[in-house]
Amino acid sequence: MRTGNGNDMHELSMAEAVNNTIKDLCARSGWLRARRVVLKVGRMRQVDHELLAFAFEIVARGTPSEGAELSVLELPTVFRCHSCGRETTTEGMAFVCMNCGSTNVELLSGMELTIESMEVDQQGA
Amino acid sequence: MSKVVTIQQAVMAEDEKYALRVRKLMKEKGIPMFNIIGSPGCGKTTLLEAMADRADFSFAVIEGDLETSRDAERLASRGVTALQINTRGWCHLEAHVVEKALASLDVDGLDVLFIENVGNLVCPAEFDLGEDLKIAVSSTPEGADKPLKYPMLFVQAGAVLLTKIDLLPHVRFDREMFVNDVRSLNPRAPILELDLTSGAGVGAWVSFVSEKIKEKRSHAG
Repeated sequence: MRTGNGNDMHELSMAEAVNNTIKDLCARSGWLRARRVVLKVGRMRQVDHELLAFAFEIVARGTPSEGAELSVLELPTVFRCHSCGRETTTEGMAFVCMNCGSTNVELLSGMELTIESMEVDQQGA
Repeated sequence: MSKVVTIQQAVMAEDEKYALRVRKLMKEKGIPMFNIIGSPGCGKTTLLEAMADRADFSFAVIEGDLETSRDAERLASRGVTALQINTRGWCHLEAHVVEKALASLDVDGLDVLFIENVGNLVCPAEFDLGEDLKIAVSSTPEGADKPLKYPMLFVQAGAVLLTKIDLLPHVRFDREMFVNDVRSLNPRAPILELDLTSGAGVGAWVSFVSEKIKEKRSHAG
């Protein structure tokens, strides 16, 4: 929630979801802890990277991600036009083909929220 | 010893499991579920009240609010079954909460189920509750710039409701811009204009819901 009063639940929810996923991955793979996490986030998610990193630091306390460094790779919004076939890459949010002005477009990228890679400590090290 | 591993796993998978279960249950029952999303005060509860008076289908409401059971009480006084969920600070509902709510609701006699999400245009748009449709509600006093400022909601909406059109003479609202911006984000969603004070437009909304009830029933099981 972007209320501007420090109550930014949007990034907090996301940080919790990321942290829970890491917890599961660690438990399943027998990793002791995560040291570095690379997250891919689509532009459409409207994530504030600093807030996300801050929220992640808090929710990670007492979990395998405690102290882990979070890197966010932002992916642009890309859509393909069904009228002219061209692809548009945009920083904005309007789904209008830059080539022909059609709104008959299909989103190719921009909604991602993916843990791309992690640096982890293994057991028995 | 540490090592770098490639993961490539989508996040939110956990809550997605609950959403899938909710969707499966509602498919078996053949009951459509609408997730109503909009700002505080845009008319979400008033829309549900208006429906209680006009609709010939039976419905129940899962009410999401940070605090109080006022919305559920408003609906109960109109004879609508409403289950209040207090999120205690959380700004949106999640699928696991909906699944729990469904366990204590008798959905069998219903034609349709509504979820009134917490008043907020951001986070509710990000969480799949297992609904058939997200409904974006925007009111004229909020201004016509909301679709482009909160695109996630409008991109995903199965219908966009513009409420408080009776206030158009009194507020600055560029109707053409609103419609064009919604179209640029979501060319397919119908835009319904409503004045919930007089009831104008409620009939069209009720027809839209009735159509979805029929569609869902024909695909039940």
